[in-house]
Amino acid sequence: REEKQLELTLEALISQVADLKNSLVSFIYKLENEYDRLTWPSVLDSFALLSGQLNTLNKVLKHEKTPLLRNQVIIPLVLSPDRDEEIMRQTEGRVPVFSHEVVPDHLRTKPDPEVEEQEKQLITDAARISPDGAQKQIQSLNKMCSNLLEKISKEERESESGGLRQNKQTFNPTDTNALVAAVAFGKGLSNRRPPGSGGSVQSGQPGAGAIIAGASGMQQVPMSSAPAQQQPMLAGVQMAQAGQPGKMPSGIKTNIKSASMHPYQR
Amino acid sequence: MEAPPVTMMPVTGGTINMMEYLLQGSVLDQSLESLLHRLRGLCDNMEPETFLDHEMVFLLKGQQASPFVLRARRSMDKSGMPWHLRYLGQPEIGDKNRHALVRNCVDIATSDNLTDFLVEMGFRMDHEFVAKGHVFRKGIMKIVVYKIFRILMPGNTDSIEPLSLSYLVELNVVAPAGQDVVSDDMRNFAEQLKPLVHLEKIDPKRLM
Repeated sequence: REEKQLELTLEALISQVADLKNSLVSFIYKLENEYDRLTWPSVLDSFALLSGQLNTLNKVLKHEKTPLLRNQVIIPLVLSPDRDEEIMRQTEGRVPVFSHEVVPDHLRTKPDPEVEEQEKQLITDAARISPDGAQKQIQSLNKMCSNLLEKISKEERESESGGLRQNKQTFNPTDTNALVAAVAFGKGLSNRRPPGSGGSVQSGQPGAGAIIAGASGMQQVPMSSAPAQQQPMLAGVQMAQAGQPGKMPSGIKTNIKSASMHPYQR
Repeated sequence: MEAPPVTMMPVTGGTINMMEYLLQGSVLDQSLESLLHRLRGLCDNMEPETFLDHEMVFLLKGQQASPFVLRARRSMDKSGMPWHLRYLGQPEIGDKNRHALVRNCVDIATSDNLTDFLVEMGFRMDHEFVAKGHVFRKGIMKIVVYKIFRILMPGNTDSIEPLSLSYLVELNVVAPAGQDVVSDDMRNFAEQLKPLVHLEKIDPKRLM
């Protein structure tokens, strides 16, 4: 069962490392060939990709199903100075021979001497600080980081909203209401109100006269209930014109009365 | 004289009662281009269609308080098109979950002596306007972006002036009654037009 786990872990690690290698390759290619056209965001993207992949690699290593790899030892079983085709294929031509020179480099677990020195230094420094002092340092670091984060996010929000404010006015709600009211019940479009239109009404052809008669409102009510003929229509137009300018309110009242008294119910 | 609500009407044959689902918004003149670009991308791929229509709204005042309203529309730029007569009922007061304005709708194509006929029947023209704009389609949804022009001299459609500095944007679907999934589709489409336009259901009675 542990062997199975080990196998699974190794497979996962191999795939993660292969992904990492690929992104490194593409990044190097980008840097070498497109360096004159490279933009900072593009470089940041590559770094972010690498960092994400390193993160997943770490997660795989820390996963509870991974056995303690620390306890495993890798021992080379066969060392030969001959070219090995299998190794060549697997490493894409970089390692042709699995020999005495190659093995120490590739299978080492000890870090570089300089790195080892630095690590030793850090360990002694850390041991020197008392636990309280260490705690205080941790807290101040956390506080500084959160302050910085807040400042950055506030800047971002303000610049975004500033930009938005300029672009925002693509519509005007008052206009929306005015237009909807116009379409729904003719607010602002009614032809009865403007006094200028009453004066300029021409009694032209009968067809135009019919529409104009309609536009001049309810003056035509008693006229049109009679059988429709052209002459009464035209006469109605003349009458309406004569009566229209000053007489509209009273005209409306009488028309309603005459309409309700009419024998033909509508 | 209003048609009773759909749910009370028995099905006695004839045509299915169609409902119009409507969302409205507006866009300022300077942002029209970006809206048209976005619509061209979102909607079905067809030749951009413009229209110039003259709409007249006729009222029949009976003894009751509310008059009967009919809308007659004719195309001013396309010759040979029939006139379009439309009846729109009162908006249905549904639950708040319905995202669009729903009202009964009857559409009829007529010949061009429609205005004479309506006047003979006793209708009077209440107001008229000219609408000029673009039409887009997406499936059963129709998106219309148009500018409303006031007619300065009654009957003369050449002397017109714009009513405001905005274009009205309408998203409507004509579908049989009871299909509330239509309003969900409309709302999803309206989401895609934000923040350029806010399409919402606007109750005309609030604006009276």
